[in-house]
Formats: sequence, C-alpha cells, structure tokens
Amino acid sequence: MDLSVRLPRGLTLKNPIIAASGTFGFGPEYARFVQVNRLGGISVKGISPEPWRGNPPPRVWETPSGLLNSIGLQNPGLTTFLEEDAPFLRTLDTVVIANIIGHTVEEYRTVAAGLQNEPAIHAFEVNISCPNIKAGGITFGHDPDAAYHVMRAVRSVTDKPVMVKVSPNMADPWTVAEAVVEGGADMISAINTVIGLAIDLKRRRPALGGTTGGLSGPAIKPIALRVVWEIAQRVSVPVIGMGGIQSAEDVLEFLMAGARAVMVGTITFQFPQRMEEIIDRLPLVLAHYGFRSLEEAVGAAWTSRTADGAEGGE
Amino acid sequence: MAGAFKAPIVAALAVAPRHVELVIEHPELSMAAPGQFAHILTPGMLRRPVSFSRIDPQRGRAGLLVQVVGQGTAWLAERSPGEWLDVLAPLGRGFQAPDPARPWILVGGGVGIPPLYSAWERWGPQHRAPACAILGAREADGILMAGDFQGAGLLPVLATEDGSAGRRGTVVGPLEEWLARYPEAQVMACGPNGMLAQVSRVAAGATGPVQLAMEQRMGCGIGACLACVVPATPVGPEGPRYRRVCTDGPVFFREELAWSWI
Ligand SMILES: Cc1cc2nc3c(=O)[nH]c(=O)nc-3n(C[C@H](O)[C@H](O)[C@H](O)COP(=O)(O)OP(=O)(O)OC[C@H]3O[C@@H](n4cnc5c(N)ncnc54)[C@H](O)[C@@H]3O)c2cc1C
Ligand SMILES: Cc1cc2nc3c(=O)[nH]c(=O)nc-3n(C[C@H](O)[C@H](O)[C@H](O)COP(=O)(O)O)c2cc1C
Ligand code: FES
Repeated sequence: MDLSVRLPRGLTLKNPIIAASGTFGFGPEYARFVQVNRLGGISVKGISPEPWRGNPPPRVWETPSGLLNSIGLQNPGLTTFLEEDAPFLRTLDTVVIANIIGHTVEEYRTVAAGLQNEPAIHAFEVNISCPNIKAGGITFGHDPDAAYHVMRAVRSVTDKPVMVKVSPNMADPWTVAEAVVEGGADMISAINTVIGLAIDLKRRRPALGGTTGGLSGPAIKPIALRVVWEIAQRVSVPVIGMGGIQSAEDVLEFLMAGARAVMVGTITFQFPQRMEEIIDRLPLVLAHYGFRSLEEAVGAAWTSRTADGAEGGE
Repeated sequence: MAGAFKAPIVAALAVAPRHVELVIEHPELSMAAPGQFAHILTPGMLRRPVSFSRIDPQRGRAGLLVQVVGQGTAWLAERSPGEWLDVLAPLGRGFQAPDPARPWILVGGGVGIPPLYSAWERWGPQHRAPACAILGAREADGILMAGDFQGAGLLPVLATEDGSAGRRGTVVGPLEEWLARYPEAQVMACGPNGMLAQVSRVAAGATGPVQLAMEQRMGCGIGACLACVVPATPVGPEGPRYRRVCTDGPVFFREELAWSWI
C-alpha cells in the first residue's frame, strides 16, 4: 500500500509518521537507534533567535499513562542551529520541519527568515502553543488575532510550507486554527501538550522546576482526537494530528478523525523503534479495517457518523 | 556507541534489604565503561536509568545494583535469571580513567557506590599510587559492595550516620583526612546531591581532578529531550547553563557544575 502523503506547496511525506518536536532532538541523537530516513519526517526541537536556557529541573514527571514536562524550550538559538545542527539534517533523506518559537512576533519572523534559505529545512511548524514559557508562545496561541499576526509575519519571509501548532488549552482551539489559515498557514498541527500540575509529596511543592508543565502521552489521546476532529472539519487545509499515539491503530484513529499525517512523541522515549514498527504495521491495520488506501481513511469517521443516522459531519 | 537491545538476566542476587543486583549479558555491554548507565524498560511510561555496578568486557556482562524506591525499581527487583531486560546501553559519559601514579579517592553514598566499584574493578589493578574507597550510608544496610571492594584488594573505609557500621558520621570526615594526607589526590564520587555538594566543597583545594556522577529525572536518556539537566557553568546574570546528565554526564568535573544552583 502506498503510504505517501501529499501536502501543500509540493511537500511530500514518504509515510504519515513524523517524529514530534521536542522528543527527537535535532535528529542525530536517535540516529543510533532509529533509521531516521524511514520516517515520514522529523520536527526538530523549538528554535528561537537567541539561545534559551530553559526551566530549572526537575523537568519531567511521570503520571499515569502520561508525562508532564517543563523543559521550557531550551535550545541553542538560530545561529548555533545553523552552524552545528543543520549540516547533519542536510544529510537526511526525509522531510525536516523546523519548529520555531519566539517571545514576540518579530522573533518568529527572525527565525523563519533565518531558515528560509537553509536547504536542510523543508517546512516550518510555528509553535504558538507551548505551555512552558511565560512570555510569547502560548499567549499567541490562545488569541486568534495574535496568532494571525504571527502567521502573517512568518508568511512574509518564507515560501516554504508552514504549519501552525495549536494548543488544546482553550475551549475553542479551532478559532485559532481558522485565524492562522486566514493568515496564510498551509497546515495545522495539533495538539501541543495539555497544561497540568503534579505535587511532590516529599518536598511539599510542585514536582516540576517550572511549577506547571505540559502533559503528553496516551493520557491525552482522547483530548487530541477531539481537537483534531473539530479543526479538520472546519478548515480546508491538512491537519497533522498528535497526542498519545502508541500504535498503528492509534494512527488510524487520528486519520479517521481527519488528520492527513501524524506526529509521534512521548512513546519514543520508551520504545525508540516504535515509529518504524507503526510504519510497518500501518498497511495491515488499514487493510484490516477495510481501507484500500491511506487517503480513504482520512476523515472516514465523519461520513460513517452520518451513515449511522447521527448528526452529519461536513 | 550504544544500542537498543534485549539482554538476558544471567544472575539476580539480593545483596541487602531492598537492594538487588542483576547481571545482564549482551555483546554491546563489552563497550560499557564505569560511570555509564543503562536506560531500562519497566512497566511505567519512562525507562529507568541505572549505573553499571560491574563490567565484564570479555563476557559482555554488566551488573545493575538497584535500590527499591518505587514501582519501577520494585519491578526490577522481582526479575529472575532467564528473564530479559529491554535496555538502551551503554549510555552517557563515564569516568575519565584515573592517573595510575596519583593517589585516588573513591567516595560513594548508598546506591552511588556501584559505579565506583566498577571504576575500581576496571582501573584498580593497574593503580600504583595509594587508593582509598570511602563508603557511606545512613545505616549499615545501605553500605553496598564493601565485600566486593575487599575482594578486589581495597579495604573500604565505612561511615554511617547512625554509627551502625564503621565510623559515625558522613563520608566527609574520612575524605578530609585523606585529602590532608594526599592533597594531590584525584577524587571520584557518586551519591545523593547533598553528599556530592559536600565532596565538591571539601575537594575544592585538591589539585587532582574531581569527578562527580550526577542523577536527574530523565526522559529519553539519549540526549534528545533536555529533561535531565543540572545547573552547570558558566553562570550568567540570568542563571546557570543547563547541561544533560544523560549525555554531557552523568560524570562531570567539579568545575563544570554550578553548585550554588543545585
Ligand atoms: C545516571 C543515573 C544512574 C542511576 N544509577 C542507579 C543505580 O545504580 N542504582 C539505583 O538503585 N538507582 C540508580 N539511579 C536512580 C534510579 O534511576 C531511580 O531510583 C529510579 O528511576 C526510580 O524508579 P521507581 O519507578 O522505582 O521510582 P518512582 O519514584 O516511582 O519513579 C518515578 C519517576 O521518577 C524517576 N526517578 C525517581 N527517582 C529518581 C532518581 N533518583 N534519579 C533519576 N530518576 C528518578 C523515575 O525514573 C521515574 O521516571 C540512577 C539514576 C540516574 C539518573
Ligand atoms: C519533552 C517534550 C518536549 C517537547 N518540546 C516541544 C517543542 O519544543 N515544540 C513543540 O512544538 N512541541 C513540543 N512538545 C510537544 C510534542 O511535540 C507533542 O505535541 C506532544 O508531546 C503530544 O504528543 P505525544 O503525546 O505523542 O508526545 C514536547 C513534548 C515533550 C514530551
Ligand atoms: S533524558 Fe532526554 S536529554 Fe537527557
């Protein structure tokens, strides 16, 4: 079965499985354990114009079926990324997505402009949805108007495909998705982590150095599916779904909710080879559930809802 | 290099109350170095990092001495020979080999002792200058591998806070005495952060290298997620620089760490 996915502006994935930003470093870290070129793509750690130091430790805390993190977008900054990380990425035969972050609209523009001519980067993922930084990031992600302006700024400096990563931490995330599509986004990726808190009983204080954190892993899959479902039925651009994916069956759920491709994050920490296993099993799982192609599965749950006599999808 | 593989457990030994040592076998483990660790799959969402307690490069065997503190370590303590562990290993920057002609002090607290034993096992036989292992714990049960050190030709100095084994007090007293005698000594230490902070302070005047093996909560274990950081130098106006225990460490030189932030 052909697993390739055609996305806007000529971007083609060899399969719909992309390593999620922040869980796959800048590429080389997992190359010892994973055949990176087998993946549909990788989204690298968030990149800001200047280096960001990130939050104090502890930065991760295990929760039932989940992981709470407050990394705080530590990254070496644009210049170091171009000098030290881009050369490896240029050697890859897979789609490389630059996840970009900033405290201001101008900072997002700076990173996109700085990477526009970098051949290693095939697309952008504008991260306006990280719950772990105080200024910027999520403050844009929760305001459709601000999100629109970030997208316009990025669009003004690049003709590469751009997706905007949406936050689940608001009642109506589709308003942001609709606004950024209006601002020129080619795709939506959803979801970023769900804001949460854990208390360390022994130390009598919040478990994470950053106080609150972002929840990821299987615990958030239903939340993610619902957001993808809502957005995919409202916008005309492709949606890349993620949140708690552990198996090819999970991928199929996201496809049927309306995603064209998916990203896989937290499960990689436990099983570095899981993304490759999913790629191997996906054709079997699609066939098992009666799909003759990947395309056929996208949004399939909308129509069947109508077929069952329940309220219609689109 | 490191790999992702399943390794059979060839031995499992209860070494103290709530402490088990598992020995696993795999060709990749021939490459393991003292101070490195394995990131072990357990039923939880994240793998568990455990240092090597002993390494047999000829047979590709490595020991993992685990203290039961929660679900993951309790699961590990229930494993038996013939079962398999799914590990990423060997990981991290281990100890830099000691200078065989310079006095050598090993300081271990509780489950910080195993990586120091693996260092002594590897480099002790060639060591020509005086050497000393100072092992500390709250109580006698927490002193691990004292018999292994002795069997490998080094009678350790013991210190317990309740005085139930060796001297009453912490490892700091014996460390100060050894450093007074051998100010040029090289130091390797692993244990709780409080102990390492004291070692770092006491060894500040030492002229030899001081290497400290650190712990931090980890995600990936292989350098990709930036979860496992510790405050490191240089410290700027806004704070320290954060470095990864899993790949920049676990072993750091004293000067690399920003102790006032830890
Ligand atoms: C480099 C390194 C080497 C280590 N070597 C050893 C060793 O040789 N022997 C040994 O007994 N222990 C060692 N530890 C500590 C060991 O990793 C923890 O005790 C273990 O992860 C606890 O898991 P749990 O499920 O039993 O406890 P829980 O408290 O239920 O664990 C919950 C989460 O917190 C993490 N966590 C809890 N305590 C620690 C800790 N001290 N350090 C890092 N993560 C922690 C767990 O990995 C897990 O993700 C080492 C830690 C590191 C970082
Ligand atoms: C440790 C960690 C770091 C992350 N860093 C980023 C990041 O830099 N940029 C970003 O857009 N998302 C980041 N994310 C969010 C993931 O890309 C993803 O949206 C989320 O984890 C849900 O997917 P999962 O459940 O498969 O992990 C991070 C997640 C984790 C767990
Ligand atoms: S645990 Fe992921 S970088 Fe160290």
